[in-house]
Amino acid sequence: MHIIVVGINHKTAPVEIRERLTFDPSQLGDAMSVLKDKKSILENVIISTCNRTEIYAVVDQLHTGRYYVKEFLAEWFEIEQAEFTPFLFVYEQDGAMEHLFKVTSGLDSLVLGETQILGQVRTSFLLAQEGNTVGTVFNQLFKQAITMAKRAHAETDIGANAVSVSYAAVELAKKIFGSIENKHVLILGAGKMGELAIQNLHGSGASKVTVMNRTFEKAEELAHRFSGKARSMNELESALIEADILISSTGAKQFVITKQMIESLEKRRKGKTLFMVDIAVPRDLDPQLSELESVFLYDIDDLEGIVEANLQERKKAAETISLMVEAEIVEFKQWLNLLGVVPVISALREKALTIQADTMKSLERKLPNLSEHDVKVLNKHTKSIINQMLKDPILQAKELAGCNGSEEALDLFIKIFNIEELVKKQQEMKAAELKPVYVHSSKPVFHS
Amino acid sequence: MMETMMTRLQELTVVLYALSVLLYFIDFLQNNRRANRVAFWLLSFVWVSQTVMLFIYMLNIGRFPVLTLSEGLYFYAWVLITFSLVINRLLKVDFIVFFTNVIGFMIMVIHTFAPDQVVSGGVSAQQLVSELLFIHITAAILSYGAFSLSFVFSLLYLLQYNLLKQKKWGKRLVRIPDLSKLEHMSYVLNVIGVPLIMIGIILGSRWAYITLPEVVWFDAKVIGSVCVILVYCLYLYLRISKGVTGKSLAMWNMAAFLILLINFFLIGNFSTFHLWL
Repeated sequence: MHIIVVGINHKTAPVEIRERLTFDPSQLGDAMSVLKDKKSILENVIISTCNRTEIYAVVDQLHTGRYYVKEFLAEWFEIEQAEFTPFLFVYEQDGAMEHLFKVTSGLDSLVLGETQILGQVRTSFLLAQEGNTVGTVFNQLFKQAITMAKRAHAETDIGANAVSVSYAAVELAKKIFGSIENKHVLILGAGKMGELAIQNLHGSGASKVTVMNRTFEKAEELAHRFSGKARSMNELESALIEADILISSTGAKQFVITKQMIESLEKRRKGKTLFMVDIAVPRDLDPQLSELESVFLYDIDDLEGIVEANLQERKKAAETISLMVEAEIVEFKQWLNLLGVVPVISALREKALTIQADTMKSLERKLPNLSEHDVKVLNKHTKSIINQMLKDPILQAKELAGCNGSEEALDLFIKIFNIEELVKKQQEMKAAELKPVYVHSSKPVFHS
Repeated sequence: MMETMMTRLQELTVVLYALSVLLYFIDFLQNNRRANRVAFWLLSFVWVSQTVMLFIYMLNIGRFPVLTLSEGLYFYAWVLITFSLVINRLLKVDFIVFFTNVIGFMIMVIHTFAPDQVVSGGVSAQQLVSELLFIHITAAILSYGAFSLSFVFSLLYLLQYNLLKQKKWGKRLVRIPDLSKLEHMSYVLNVIGVPLIMIGIILGSRWAYITLPEVVWFDAKVIGSVCVILVYCLYLYLRISKGVTGKSLAMWNMAAFLILLINFFLIGNFSTFHLWL
């Protein structure tokens, strides 16, 4: 049994390929069910977002597993394998586990540390559970990955601060005003940057928005889209009296707002705080404005500096999370090894109990005068001998399963007790149970 | 035996309090969450131990312990720790516990080295034991607690204001709450503090009028206390009627607190009757 991940993402494939291999969310469950019926595939989960299409699978053989996943992709999307194979990545065993942990905690995302992917992994996993395409192994692995990702976000600052210029401006505004819901936002310039700014502020709850532009119609059109109001540039003074947040991105060659302008309005503004963001190049706002007590002035370089600082913080957090991932992989492999030891223990117990049962039959044949009570006592005591004899070997087998080189050690264990056939039989029974079986382990906990 | 045990517990409490403030300081400098957590638990222990000692002391002397300088300081430190823990629990405001407990620790140290004053100066202990006086002192100390916390909020306001003004984006800026919240909390605490100190002073005056043979209304402590009330009332007037906000208001609040400290520690020495605090 092996774990693999086959897929494409924003790092390996251009958008032209990614868009052709994106699953329709409404068909994701069906896709997983179809893949489940493919040869060699024991369990599977498909994660499909705009940046990645990844198929996680438990397969009985690596080579055939890879082959059938590719075949499934080609059939489902009706696309030649040769067209997407160059962009495909395949990770196996530890690599696949590591990839899942990193993807879930946002370390593999385009925006480092974003949390949206955690929700997408969770949705896919729940769909897989509903469609019975996951069993013992993925139930454990995905629960562990989701729990770890939640912990990573809670314990580190991976997703704490803004990593885009426009969101950095919103964050700063919140650090000054707390909430920006009732703050008056004045946008100077109805160009692309102005639009982006208004989009972010509107998304963060700003409801009182005024747009000003040299061409009034453009201001009107933009204001209308965000339930704001448009004003002509002639009304700049009165708009400045009302404003709490000003975002300027005009194409003017000189400063649009000077220190003297705001100074002359100070009395009418009653000392109200004014947060000014200059995203225009050349700048619209006189840098001397920052000398005023009530003004907080930031230009595009300042905002980019904040974004860079936040990115550095995220990278530091990512290093911490990578260490957490390593520990999680070790823990999962120990669990997996223990899963491997179960058939061995069952086989050993089966052999011992068979010997005990045979012995009891032989005793009953040779001592026909034994009463029912005698038989019961003998049965109980012979079983007790078996249990006491097996107690230490079973403990040792569990210990061996958790150590490095566990496979060789378990092989030796199987040979010593001569239980190869019985182990095979147990493994076959386990494999037959694997698909529909759900193990509700208490650790790690999965909080839905 | 009991006394020795109490002394040892008091010493341990002071040491743990120092350690807690030190750990909060490390967290402030290096954004060390672990230091913050340990500091919080140490402070919680300090609070429990202080509360227990306060109750034992109260049972021993049979009255609320606020009549001597030493007792007043101890109660003031207890109020500060309590307020800081409650605000930290309810509002999750970073660094508020640290700054409040810097003041709290200073008060505690002064308490530890202050002589266990015997009430004297023409006022008999019997005269002092009056419900009016207890409420006067308790209300005054509670108002000091509110003003101290308000001062800390203003201090954090100025710190955050400077970080934002100088564009020093970083963990410290992220952890300190927004300017609006800091200003609001500082204002709310002053709104609580002003009526408390007014009640305290009115009751104190009433007590003095009833109890003392001759009350000097132009006494340094009386004038100092009236100044404190006036400064805080002016703060409220500026905020409510004049709409003054931001840095100027924070500076005003800090100046008001300094006047309060001067009144608390220095002016009492020049008073002819207000000798216990």
